[in-house]
Amino acid sequence: MNDAKRNLSLIGFLTLVIVVITPYLGLSEHLAPGVERQIFWDIRLPRLLLAFIVGAGLSICGLVFQAMFHNPLATPFTLGVASGASLGAALSVFFGVSFSVFGFSSTSLFAFLGALITIRFVYSISTLNKGFSLHTLLLTGVAISFFFSSLILLIQYLNDMPDAYRLIRWLMGNLAIVGYDTIWPLLPFVLLTVAVVFYLSNELNLLTTGDEMALSRGVNVTQIRSILFFVTSLCIGAIVASCGPIGFVGMMVPHICRLLIGQNHRWLVPASCLFGGSFLIVCDTIARLIIAPAEIPVGVITTLLGGPFFLWLLIRARAPIS
Amino acid sequence: MTLFSVSDLSIQIDNKPLLDSISFDVSEGDYLCILGQNGAGKSTLLKSLMGITPVNSGRITIDKCPFKAFSQKQLARTVSYVGQRPPAIDMIVSDFIRLGRYPHHDAFAVWSKSDQSAFDSAVVLTDIDAFLNRHCATLSGGEFQRVQIAAALCQQARLLLLDEPTSSLDPHHQGEVHALIQQLNQAHHITIIEVTHDLNHAIQHSRHILALKSGKTLWYGDSDALLAAPILSQLYDHPFVTLTHPETNQLIALSSEITR
Repeated sequence: MNDAKRNLSLIGFLTLVIVVITPYLGLSEHLAPGVERQIFWDIRLPRLLLAFIVGAGLSICGLVFQAMFHNPLATPFTLGVASGASLGAALSVFFGVSFSVFGFSSTSLFAFLGALITIRFVYSISTLNKGFSLHTLLLTGVAISFFFSSLILLIQYLNDMPDAYRLIRWLMGNLAIVGYDTIWPLLPFVLLTVAVVFYLSNELNLLTTGDEMALSRGVNVTQIRSILFFVTSLCIGAIVASCGPIGFVGMMVPHICRLLIGQNHRWLVPASCLFGGSFLIVCDTIARLIIAPAEIPVGVITTLLGGPFFLWLLIRARAPIS
Repeated sequence: MTLFSVSDLSIQIDNKPLLDSISFDVSEGDYLCILGQNGAGKSTLLKSLMGITPVNSGRITIDKCPFKAFSQKQLARTVSYVGQRPPAIDMIVSDFIRLGRYPHHDAFAVWSKSDQSAFDSAVVLTDIDAFLNRHCATLSGGEFQRVQIAAALCQQARLLLLDEPTSSLDPHHQGEVHALIQQLNQAHHITIIEVTHDLNHAIQHSRHILALKSGKTLWYGDSDALLAAPILSQLYDHPFVTLTHPETNQLIALSSEITR
């Protein structure tokens, strides 16, 4: 318990350091003072906030999936939920659907529906035969991801060149924004998700011990799972619609946090938010600086880190949990 | 007083009948053992009483209130359950046992005095003080079975459901768990329903026996009347002999050779 608190404070402190230092990295000294200031407030700060919000949101969704399915490999990305959201967003762009509900764009709505339908579908496939099977879940997720990727490729092919190029850039996952317009529609979804997940910490603790155990301790598993599917789909949908699918953050961050904090979600939720937020800020700073003055999409960086991490998890897991 | 009443309970999964009109009553302080072959529906019955397996038809009442009126949380305050296949628990023993307090908590409840006393008494009863700080994965089968029972006791439910609690244990640890169950039932007045394959344990320790065959009730009555009723061979499709125990003079059942 004390270890958990100490490591959580450590993560908090590191987050603070990262938030304070990174916006200044790469600011050139021989700019006029006014320009420098403008860059800071209109480009660096919004981008930093976006990276933090997206990183926190992705990590929370990953944390929830890993707890619900008792496996570090089960995340919104590996289960095809992010692909579903991408397909939804791509479809809304392709058909030129454009409306907004309470200020939230049709792209977000399509991405949300894509995510929710996908997770419902993948989960129901995994429970078809005599209860839940983790292997079926993961394999269905992989199959769905491939299937949706092909559909997105098809949409790209059918689009004209400039749109197709925009779609490709967006699919790489990108945080390069100017001003705060991207942040406001995203923030409420991520905040809502984090709040709901934090509220359900006790239930998540029990869900990690398996559905049967959770039921016998009094958790209404079906209801809690529906709520969690719904809020994580909202969060993934909103993030994918605004920044594209940024892979592997939701797998790496919660797993590392579990190693540092233990299994209590009361501490894991804030830890994953802070760690995920600052992790994506660091990745984005690397993406922005590594071939400066040009940039690479941040999704490329996270995926380059995530691939080997995924393999490491696979090798480390001595016996597959079924 | 009747705590649990089950009447005409039937369960089908994919049109396959698993349980067919089962009826029994469990009164406060009772100790019921459920016997039967593998696949007879014993575990399904136990799971349906914990709300894990949904019931297709029939009536279950707790304290004369219909089962369906209980939320899962309310149910967990009355009934606790120790399942057959222990899942891999990635937790420290004490954290795992603390989870047993969930049905008594709302979202931001702090650990109270009553929580601590429930925890302490569960730990004392099951005698697991020595490995409270160990990781669940490092425990032996017997140790983990006691931890599982402790976690269920921490729930402070009146009815404890046990699904083959001793089937993977050696004779010494079986005896230990049997003695623990006895103590819980007699000294602490916890009502017990236990699924077991240990015939003589059921006859000696439990008060009532429900014998299931292919999802139907084959026999239901007082435990000491089981051997007088010639149903054992039918129950297991296997020959049995009864004889008197040389030390206790009690009647015991012995599985005999299969003649081909």
